[in-house]
Order: sequence, then structure tokens, then C-alpha cells
Amino acid sequence: MEGNLSALLPLIFFMAVMVGISIFVRHKQAGKNFVSSYFVGNRELGGFVLAMTTVATYSSVSSFVGGPGMAFQVGFGWIYMAVVQVTAIFLVLGIFGKRVALLARKLNAVTVVDIIRARFQSDFLAAVAAFVIVLFFCGTMTAQFVGGAKLFAAVTGYSYEAGLILFGLTVVIYTSIGGFRAVALTDTCCALIMMVGIVLLLHYVLEAGGGYENIMTRLETNNPELFEPFSFGNMPWTIYFTQWLLVGICTIALPQSVVRGISYKNTAGLHQAMLIGTVVVGFMNIGINFTGILAHGVLTGTAADYGGVDNIIPTTIVKAMPPSLVGLAIIGPLAASISTISGLLIVASSAIVKDVYLHWADKNQHVVTPARVKVLSMATTALIGAAVFVIALTPPSLIWLINMFAFGGLETAFFWTLLLGLFWRRANKLGAMLSMTGGTIVYCAAQATGFKILNLHQITIGITVSLILFLIGSYLGKREDDATLEIFFPKD
Amino acid sequence: MKQNDRASMNDAQKFSLVRREAIYTGLALVGLIIFWLIAGFGTAGVDVKIFHLPLWAVLGSVGVWLVAILISAVLSRVLFKDVDLGGEDDGR
Repeated sequence: MEGNLSALLPLIFFMAVMVGISIFVRHKQAGKNFVSSYFVGNRELGGFVLAMTTVATYSSVSSFVGGPGMAFQVGFGWIYMAVVQVTAIFLVLGIFGKRVALLARKLNAVTVVDIIRARFQSDFLAAVAAFVIVLFFCGTMTAQFVGGAKLFAAVTGYSYEAGLILFGLTVVIYTSIGGFRAVALTDTCCALIMMVGIVLLLHYVLEAGGGYENIMTRLETNNPELFEPFSFGNMPWTIYFTQWLLVGICTIALPQSVVRGISYKNTAGLHQAMLIGTVVVGFMNIGINFTGILAHGVLTGTAADYGGVDNIIPTTIVKAMPPSLVGLAIIGPLAASISTISGLLIVASSAIVKDVYLHWADKNQHVVTPARVKVLSMATTALIGAAVFVIALTPPSLIWLINMFAFGGLETAFFWTLLLGLFWRRANKLGAMLSMTGGTIVYCAAQATGFKILNLHQITIGITVSLILFLIGSYLGKREDDATLEIFFPKD
Repeated sequence: MKQNDRASMNDAQKFSLVRREAIYTGLALVGLIIFWLIAGFGTAGVDVKIFHLPLWAVLGSVGVWLVAILISAVLSRVLFKDVDLGGEDDGR
């Protein structure tokens, strides 16, 4: 297929800047504690970067492709549902931000698993947590790779594999080289470019559709279902309910978000990030989904006429934008994809290197030189990225479902373990173990068999079972020792 | 809270403060959920349009966003206090 070279050049430039940032960061971090600088950026993030990296990791390619495609089909009910995501940043930073930061400094912790290990005094639980992180992160990363590469192919005319190589390999390379600090800085660039992309696309969609008045007048006449909260049956209450859990409340326990609580410099930065993050996440959500609805001014058929909801935004970009700006327009969604991948990749790598290997070495008095840690960390990041890259070469179908499956799995595993573990003295090892393992197994089984209650997403089953098991374990098992409780719940 | 007060807080006071702030955040969430319900479903029957958009769509999207920003501002600027996190790199 003949590709659009003018669409490719801005992308290549953008990817080169990302790699350049990571090389610069590695150079600047030379001489500092490698594990701390590589996995949490030496706790040096300021408010703006903290906000942007949290938002960028949270906003995935689905937010830019599948979401607005659904808004095209369903209407304003979809925006009403998606806007619950404005809670994501102030909740995670407000509930966990300071507690995790205080604990990380006390325990010299670098990862969320470090904190779980210290709280429940269990290497087994830490190993399960690391395994769950790597497993579900690989699922999410695959979805990001596939979504990004499909978008690239649809818009530029180059092959799916070319897209995968261009942005897939780039993100693996820059994350491997630069670590968390590079991830945070590139995430910031990605978040800014996402916002520019939304404004650009909105402008050209309005222009191609003959202006706002024209598009909306036509929609009011031809698509009245778009203006009704339940979209004449296309948006049942069950979707609203489960989305509050899946992409709202339960996101506070996603390890990739919680780890940001370890990475910032001071509480002034945290306060700033709560406000900036809420502004940005709302702008992105409302902006891109509203653009999806306005795409009716450009596309006259139904979503099915264009091959499904996932093709709405790519087709809109191609039809509404001048060919010379197509490359700029897809940097936004691709930035959403790579920023999520990089954020997950570095946490998955830390789960293997820091939480499993270095802990094992420390326990067995096995000396690991700093040079070896450095090589291992970078190689592990690259290997995980390469493995996901290979899986994405043969793209699985139902990307959206894989993404949501992984989201639900992580939330089931970590929600109660972190929330009750950090705020309830009675929480203990047995409760956390039962909750994390039992809840995750039940959630996966419900997903595998398609079992639902009241037609609600299986997160409701996972999170409920996980809570019940946590409470049973905590009341049956023995309390943690006083020394541990004194660290997590100090008394005067 | 003054700079000196923050520096002199002991661990128990810091954790107590952080716990209180987490509760404020939880209460803010409950408030936002109630606003979300009223702004969207609660006004769905009102036949008012703003810029061609039904009232529920405006209040349920931009309205919820603005309230979330307000909540974040109140939490971060009024209710949350600066704390010395205890690390040598803590600049506050």
C-alpha cells in the first residue's frame, strides 16, 4: 500500500524527540542511586510533571479511538459516562499520594510491591502482586500496541507492522534507556501533544461539517437518540454503574497510578498536580468524545458503515484534515498509546528486577553490583517490551475488551489490599492474600465463562469477592506485629 | 499551618493528618457522585437547551468537570496541608 510520507515525517520527528529525552535523562542521572533513579526518578517530580505523567499513563489509545467512536454511536450519554474519569487524579493523589510518599521514605521503598511486602510481611504476597502486575500489564500493553498500530495503518496508509516498528520499538527503547524519569518527561510531552491533537481535530471537524450550528441542527433532526441519556436503550444504567467502578473509583488502586505517589518531590507539588490533573483529564475526555459526536458532520453513515466504532476517528482524521496535517493529528492518539505503554513497562520491569530478583538476592546475601543492576534493569525493560511487541505482531481481536479485562483484574487484586492495608490496622496478611488471589481468580473465571450478575461487568463480582475474602481473612488471621503497625499507623 | 509547625510534626501527627485528608477526598467523591446524578439524570426531563445541547448534557459533562476542578482546588488549597515527607530531598 502506498503511504502518506508527509504523515510519517512528524511522527518520526516526535519519536526521535522521545528517544532524545531518554538519552538526556540517562546522562543527567549518571552517578545517582540507579535503582531509585531508574524506577521512581529519585523522587524529584514537580507538580506539573506529576500531573501530566499520571494523566498520560491513565489515558490510553482507547480514550482517543474506541471512546469517541462510541460517542459517535451513542451520543451525549457516552460523555456523561466518560466524565466520571475526572475523579481519577484527585482521588489517587488525595487518598494515596501522601501516605505512600511518607511510607516510601520511611521504608526506602521504590515500588508499590515494596510497600505491600512491608505492610503484610509476606514475600509470597509480594511475589503474587508482582506476577499480577506483569500479567495484566502485558495484556494492557498489547492492547495499546495493537490499537496504536491499527490507527497508524488506517491513517497513514503504511502497514500495521511498519507502525508497530516505528512507535512500538521507539517506546521500548526510550523506556529501557531512560527509566521512570524519562517516562515522566515524555509523558508530559505526550499529554501536551494529546491536547493539541484534540483542538486540531475539533477545528477541522467543525470546518468540514459546515460549522457547529450546521452540525448540531442536523443531529437534532436526524439523530435524536444522541440527545437522550440512555440513547434509546443503547446506554443501559448498568454501563453507567460499572464505569464508575472501572474507570472511576477503583482506578485509585492501579499500581501504575499509585507508584506516582512515590515519585514526587514535595507536598506542594502533589497539591498542584491534583488540580492540574483534574483540569487536563476533563479537557481530554470531554474534548475528544465531543469531537466523536461532531464527527457526524463529516461522516454521514452509521458506525457500521465505516467498519465499526474503532474506525470512526481514523476515518474522520483522513476525511476532515488536510493530508499535510494528518501526521500531526495522529501523534495525539499515538502519544496516548506510548505514554501508557512506557508507564506500564517501567512498573512491570521494577516488579521483576526490584520486587523479585533484588529482594531474592538481598535475602540470600547474594551480592549484585550496581553495574549488574543497571544492565539487568534495562535488559528486563527491553525484554518485556519486546515480548509484548511480538504478541502484537499477530494482533488479537477485541482490543477494548482486553484492556478492560486487565483494568478490572488489577483493580480486583489491588483495591482492597492497598485501601484497607494502608488505612485499617486490623488488615492482615491472610486477608490480603485471600483477597488478592481469590478475588483475581474469581474475576478471571467470571470473565472466562461470561458469568455476570444483573448484566454488570465482572469487576463487580471481583471487587465484591475480594472484599469479602479480605474481611474474612482479617478477622480469622492474626494481627500484624506491633513493630509493623507502628510504621504504618504510628501513635503518639 | 506554618513552616515551623510542619517541620515539628511527629510521625503520628503526619499520619493522622494524611488520614483526615483521605477522608476529605472520599467525602468529596460522594459529593461529586451526587452532583453527577442530579446534573445528568436529574435534569434529563428539563426542556432547556444551551448551544443546541440539552441541559442534562451540559451539566452532566462540563458541569461535572467544573465541580471536580472546584473540589480539587478546595482540597488542595484549603483542606490539604503541606507536610515534611521526611526525605532529605523534600524541599517543602
